Amino acid sequence: MITTPNLINKVVSGITTWARVNSPWIIHFNSGSCNGCDIEILATLTPYYDIERFGIKLKGSPRHADVLICTGPVTRQARDRLLRIYEQMPEPKFVVAVGSCGISGGTFAGCYNIVGHIDEVLPVDAYIPGCPPRPEAIIDGVVKLLTHLKNGTRPEPIKPQLGEQA
Amino acid sequence: MNTEARLQRAKEILAPFARETLTPEANRVDVVIDAADLTKATAALKSADWGYLSAITGMDLGPDAGQLEALYHFCDAAAVTSLRVRLPREGQPEIDSVADQVPVASFYERELSEMLGVTVVGTPDPTHLFLPDDWPDGVFPIRRDFKIEDAAPVERDTPKVPEQGRMGNKFIVPIGPQHPALKEPGHFEFAVDGEIITGARMRLGYVHRGIEKATEQRNWIQNLYLLERICGICSHTHTSAYAQGAEKLAQVEVPMRAQAIRELVAGLERIHSHLLWLGVAAHEAGFDTLFMYSWRDRETVMSLLEELTGNRVNYSISILGGVKQDIGLEQSRSIHKAMDYLEERIRYYLDVVTSDAMFLQRTRGIGTMSRDEAILYGALGPTARASGLERDVRVDAPYGAYPKFPVSLITDERGDLEAKFVVRLKELLVSCFTIRTIVDNLPTGELAVRFPRKVPAGETVSRVEAPRGEAFYFIKSEGGESPTRLKIRTPSLCNWTSVLNKAVGHQLADVPMMIAGMDPCFSCNDRMVTVRRKDDSQTMTWAQLRAYGIEKYKSR
Ligand code: SF4
Repeated sequence: MITTPNLINKVVSGITTWARVNSPWIIHFNSGSCNGCDIEILATLTPYYDIERFGIKLKGSPRHADVLICTGPVTRQARDRLLRIYEQMPEPKFVVAVGSCGISGGTFAGCYNIVGHIDEVLPVDAYIPGCPPRPEAIIDGVVKLLTHLKNGTRPEPIKPQLGEQA
Repeated sequence: MNTEARLQRAKEILAPFARETLTPEANRVDVVIDAADLTKATAALKSADWGYLSAITGMDLGPDAGQLEALYHFCDAAAVTSLRVRLPREGQPEIDSVADQVPVASFYERELSEMLGVTVVGTPDPTHLFLPDDWPDGVFPIRRDFKIEDAAPVERDTPKVPEQGRMGNKFIVPIGPQHPALKEPGHFEFAVDGEIITGARMRLGYVHRGIEKATEQRNWIQNLYLLERICGICSHTHTSAYAQGAEKLAQVEVPMRAQAIRELVAGLERIHSHLLWLGVAAHEAGFDTLFMYSWRDRETVMSLLEELTGNRVNYSISILGGVKQDIGLEQSRSIHKAMDYLEERIRYYLDVVTSDAMFLQRTRGIGTMSRDEAILYGALGPTARASGLERDVRVDAPYGAYPKFPVSLITDERGDLEAKFVVRLKELLVSCFTIRTIVDNLPTGELAVRFPRKVPAGETVSRVEAPRGEAFYFIKSEGGESPTRLKIRTPSLCNWTSVLNKAVGHQLADVPMMIAGMDPCFSCNDRMVTVRRKDDSQTMTWAQLRAYGIEKYKSR
């Protein structure tokens, strides 16, 4: 009888992983970006790029989301909001940083209202460099993340180095 | 009336207050006045119906001069008159508010006081607009001696949760900062009485990065790429406005071919921006089919932009002194092909937004703004033109290649949301036409001329029509490798006044559409709304609010 809960757990976690990998729900937050990355993210949702092929859906509430897609450097005013959104997401949760300025501060590095880049505030699982990255790159980044999720591991993020080309 | 006559009239109107009158550029008159005369001078310009207040620039003249200066820029077609007020740098510099005469000034005044430390007496809302809540008192980023170390966050017990609750017997509905409207995640507070909005307030600054200050630390060329990233939607507008200003200061004559290419890219940018808007606005109304269609068609422009410039979003086509890429035969063929397709689609959308009964329920007669209100609130761009207000920098003060390739002005008298759709879509047809004309008659010549490393001292005003309205740049150089002061006023800021004022008296369910109607730069796709009624509190996501709006109209 002792094995039953384990079995149930195993089955349930198998199902949730399966569901998560096949239909991750994402939430998007702009913590100080120029909007360039944001419209490219939106473009991936529309018919030409159609990220919904992978079951990916943009959700309105952090409580429904598996993946947080962030753009932009983190401004002082947005920092708390970003953290709050992250905290509201259920475990396990993943963070994708899109765009050079989210990765390193980019062109805004050194501005007085910037706290830093996203991984100074949140643990980031995938970086998608570019200013802005092409929609294909965004899709590629998210799919790479999904591949890792399937194996039940967190990806080892390889942070692009400053000066390296996207 | 031509520009000289307008300026002459401004001089006459302001003569009683003028301490000194300067003519820094052919289309400008600067009048130095006493701080005490500011409200009277503004009233004089206003009662004579001379132009509109376009921006307020705050400048620090440095500790040596011991003075601050505030410039109130009024624009009337191509003529620009600036009221210059000198204030002491030490002690408590004070200036009277003009927001009771010019409502939009309240934003500019909030900015002036937080950035420069000028107390604006009588301004309706003296709180921070852009700077964070934890910003220390008495530290002003635009002052010359500002050091980033001084701005270390201070502990304040600001409410962690946005303000909510009752205001008298009204309830406050906070919206944002996570929401889809505006390039910045903004925060709004709407006071509601039942369903009806009775008051509105907003807080920006969630994506305030401090670009104006940063321009002072970078050289003229680096700034081009920094300013391009103010907004990923109208990036070309910002580079054009900046390049145009810097070129004027450096007295560099940009070749006509380069000017024409800039105008062409601006046209394409307008198409991509308006199609983006059309989709998002349709989405807010629950019309997702139109959203998907218009974004699919938008990809045509995006590919075209990529073909012409190499980039989809931040095109970087302009450089100081000209443009980077030429347009050849092959490109002009693709342009014509894309225009054929887009014109057909835009006509179709025009038909949809004026005939779809469901959609018209959400747009016809909603948020109607009369011409007088548009003037009062200082609306700009399509938001103004949809109320019959003829305001378009491309027509009023043609710059670059616009005298050679003019655009026709589109207006609509009705002022409601439907008119905003119609105006924007018709503008696209105009843009398509202009783009074709430019491609067929591209002037010959160089693409760029040399731009000096150091720019001679001087001040200039550069105005450009962005897809959302007039973008205003004030650039000051002291002969160095970087600007001394660069002031940017983007159109969305002006249009907020009209939305916030017009929201009053409307239903909460109409708010998403009304915000969408002015086309703030859209960035993130959701926001949290907490609705608190009586004792039960209820949290709504943006999606729920939107769904609520859609449901509400379905049941009618
Ligand atoms: S990476 Fe570039 S395009 Fe993306 S938000 Fe930052 S500045 Fe804008």
